[in-house]
Amino acid sequence: MTQPLLTLKDLSIAYRVGDQDTIAVEGASFDVQPGSIVGLVGESGCGKTTLARSLTRVLAGNARIAGGEAIFDGRDIMALSERAMNGLRWREIAFIPQSAMNSLDPVYTVGTQLAEVLIRRGGLGRSAARTRAEELFEWVGIETNRLGDYPHQFSGGMRQRVAIALALALDPKLIIADEPVTALDVIVQRQILDQLRELKERLGISVILVTHDISVVAYVCDRVVVMYAGRVVETGPMAATLTAPAHPYTMGLRNAFPDLASAAGELTPIEGAPPDLASPPPGCRFAPRCPFAEARCRTDVPGLDIYDGDHLAACHRIAEAETLRARAVASETWEAPA
Amino acid sequence: MKAITVIGARLLQTAFVLLAVITILFFMFRLMPGSPLAAYIDPNFTPEQQAELMARFGLDQPLWRQYLIYLGNLLQGDLGESFFYRQPVAERVLALLPNTLILTFSSLIIAYVFGVLAGAYLAWKRGSVVEQICVPLVLTTRAMPEFWLGMLLLAVFSFGMGWFPAGGTRPPGAEYDSLWALYSSADFWWHMTLPVMTLAIYSQGLPLLLMRSNMMDVMREDFVTMARIKGLSTFSVVIRHAARNALLPVMTSFAIAVGYQIQGNVVVETVFSWPGLGRELVRAVSTADYPLAQGAFLMIAVVVILMNLVADLLYAALDPRVTHE
Amino acid sequence: MSDAVTSKIRAPGRIARLRRTLGSIRLPLHDPLAVIGLCIYLFFILMAVFAPLIAPHDPNEILFTSEFALAADLTPGTDGYILGTTTLGRDIFSQIVWGARSALLIGLTAAFVVALIGSIVGIVAGYFGGWADTVLMRLADVAFGIPFLPFVIVLAAFLEPSIWNVVIAMALVLWRDTGRVIRSQTLTLRNRAYVEAARVAGSSDLKIILRHIAPNVLPLSFLYGSIAIGWAILTEASISFLGFGDPDSISWGYMLQDAFASQALSKGSYYWFVPPGFLIILIVSAGFFISRGYEQILFPKLDR
Repeated sequence: MTQPLLTLKDLSIAYRVGDQDTIAVEGASFDVQPGSIVGLVGESGCGKTTLARSLTRVLAGNARIAGGEAIFDGRDIMALSERAMNGLRWREIAFIPQSAMNSLDPVYTVGTQLAEVLIRRGGLGRSAARTRAEELFEWVGIETNRLGDYPHQFSGGMRQRVAIALALALDPKLIIADEPVTALDVIVQRQILDQLRELKERLGISVILVTHDISVVAYVCDRVVVMYAGRVVETGPMAATLTAPAHPYTMGLRNAFPDLASAAGELTPIEGAPPDLASPPPGCRFAPRCPFAEARCRTDVPGLDIYDGDHLAACHRIAEAETLRARAVASETWEAPA
Repeated sequence: MKAITVIGARLLQTAFVLLAVITILFFMFRLMPGSPLAAYIDPNFTPEQQAELMARFGLDQPLWRQYLIYLGNLLQGDLGESFFYRQPVAERVLALLPNTLILTFSSLIIAYVFGVLAGAYLAWKRGSVVEQICVPLVLTTRAMPEFWLGMLLLAVFSFGMGWFPAGGTRPPGAEYDSLWALYSSADFWWHMTLPVMTLAIYSQGLPLLLMRSNMMDVMREDFVTMARIKGLSTFSVVIRHAARNALLPVMTSFAIAVGYQIQGNVVVETVFSWPGLGRELVRAVSTADYPLAQGAFLMIAVVVILMNLVADLLYAALDPRVTHE
Repeated sequence: MSDAVTSKIRAPGRIARLRRTLGSIRLPLHDPLAVIGLCIYLFFILMAVFAPLIAPHDPNEILFTSEFALAADLTPGTDGYILGTTTLGRDIFSQIVWGARSALLIGLTAAFVVALIGSIVGIVAGYFGGWADTVLMRLADVAFGIPFLPFVIVLAAFLEPSIWNVVIAMALVLWRDTGRVIRSQTLTLRNRAYVEAARVAGSSDLKIILRHIAPNVLPLSFLYGSIAIGWAILTEASISFLGFGDPDSISWGYMLQDAFASQALSKGSYYWFVPPGFLIILIVSAGFFISRGYEQILFPKLDR
């Protein structure tokens, strides 16, 4: 087994609202192998974006790392000095934002913004930066003469390609992509996802892909990390996890999305809403919405247990997963949560 | 192509506003009570002499004819003749315009440089004690009557300490060969200090508050967060990205501020006996020198209207989202 | 489409929203600065109402010392004159107190007139659109081209000297800002689902405007109104200072002109010209503070 590129151990992130701490991410642990795409999936507000952003250590003003480590290439990101962290940013860990429209500065041309990173962060000279920028545009499939255009002159899909070019600029080891295709139509989505896969295959870059869309995970990811209400509830190889989920939340999630791969199956939403993280329920946080919840689910917090090899899930009824899966397929199961 | 149409439409609108203001001005001055020549006519004049004078100024014509004549004269740069100076209004007004513009621009440049920097700083310090004290303080400077501030500065620094002259542009009896010699003399700058300070203190609030609130909005934008994620230096994040974007509307407001300032100059020029358009307007109105009043008003209005146009064009020129459509 | 749906969902909450809107109009009490502003106003209102009781002298009365000499240029405290006397022997403190009357009178009427005209223009232009909109907005363009203070000066010179000249000038010119803002607000309101629904249900335009548009536009009118109070007081002060004011009514601007013309600056009579300016600043910034309170009600996301 190769050394993981990134190992999260018990990472917690808290927000301060008023005089109260809200734990947005609690005890998250998972690995990212070199040259793999890991899907970080969950409903909005489950902490996946906060978790992904924490790897750049650029958090909202009221957020802080509350504990745990993130070992990247042998160093704990969370313990690095701000100066050392800044050395890591973009050179080793780059970021593709959800909306490239808002993430590109409207008053500079995209060429200028590429050059800014290449010169100021990559130490390239002006002409070398120009050559590299053209190379990057060719790589993502945009004509090089558009380097002189402003962000608003590009279409949504094109802007996302610009964002990818920007992320690639300094040959990072890890790219964090935060909902990179959410705002795009399906055909463009597929093109962008193909491009992410190419990153991995041709350049050996690892990607953490944050998404709420399980079909995106199915299309492009090697591994999947499912989050619910700030906790990792299931993690494993993509195919195994999606075909044979061990956590009821993942089972429900799968029912709620049209399958991009098979384009079949009935849509069944999960009843209810995620809990308020300011006062989460005791025990398993999914219990209030879980059709299979038992008494202990409401009192004891389940830990991540091995389901099958490196496929882990945090469920008290992990041993009965196969039976639950069979019941979860029926939409009546989800209509009246226990 | 599209940009040209927009600019064309804006120019047309400017021309329309200018014509409308000229028209309002004309009728305002003609419809006022009393003979427009009251100040001009010596009581000893015979009715024949009065009639002759009326004819000389075209006042015997019907109103609409007078209006057309007025417009025609305007097109030739003829603003009439001042009753008081017995000299063409255009000449007088153009001679005073530079004095007013110097005062306006130098005070606004100081106000904007200070306001932009302080506004960015206060945005950076949001929530701090400094900010909570400074913002109401700045609002208070916006609430000051400009002339009162001028009076205060005069009382303290001129009459009290004797550091600065009490008014005018030059020491009594001083003569200069040319305007250039006057403007480049140390005395001129000496005389200018207090009025410029007055106007600058009053004006800095606008760019300051605008910059501060824009900056606070921009700091929340995704591209500023992205700049931090890129590992760019604090300088790059704050100046190259945040301030550059926050500055756009502030730059535009400069032109608008010139338009406002030039109206407000009226009182400050009076306090400091500064020979500018504003003080001339007040004097002309007080002495019923209507052609001169009309001319000075028109000149001020032209600056206001042009600056409104400049503001729009500047906005378009500075924001690539408008320029490169 | 989705906007229409959300408005429909919110429709039952309209009464609550209306109540909240009306509540916000009353007093922005959540903002400490706005509360300070309101207290300052209360102070000045009391001062204006009880001016005859507070002021020890008639502000125009020419006073004499016990030796029957003119009580001119007395320093504060002398012979019981709290703020001293003017060169013509008038009590400065009494003038200050009476000045609150004209300041409030001009400020409040001008603000009311400006907000009223601006709101009507804005609503008519925004709601009816078409030629009414075109005409009104071109008029606003013209109003923006008129230099305000010079306009007031000329107007004041033509009309009889009166404190109302400032109000008239503001009514003629300064509706422009309010009008433009209210118009764009009305434009967005007009396309809301419940307005559409009311129109389809056959409500008259007047009814729709009174029921649906006006209540939502009101806080904005108040915002611009509270700024206009300050503008009016400052303008009156400037006009009086330039000598185009009403010589029969005591205002702070008139006091400043009197002081300036009587060489109070070179005499160093700070007690004469500092207090009126200070009170102008106080009352005008009170208006700004209150307007910021309204701003926070209107644009709660912006933490200004």
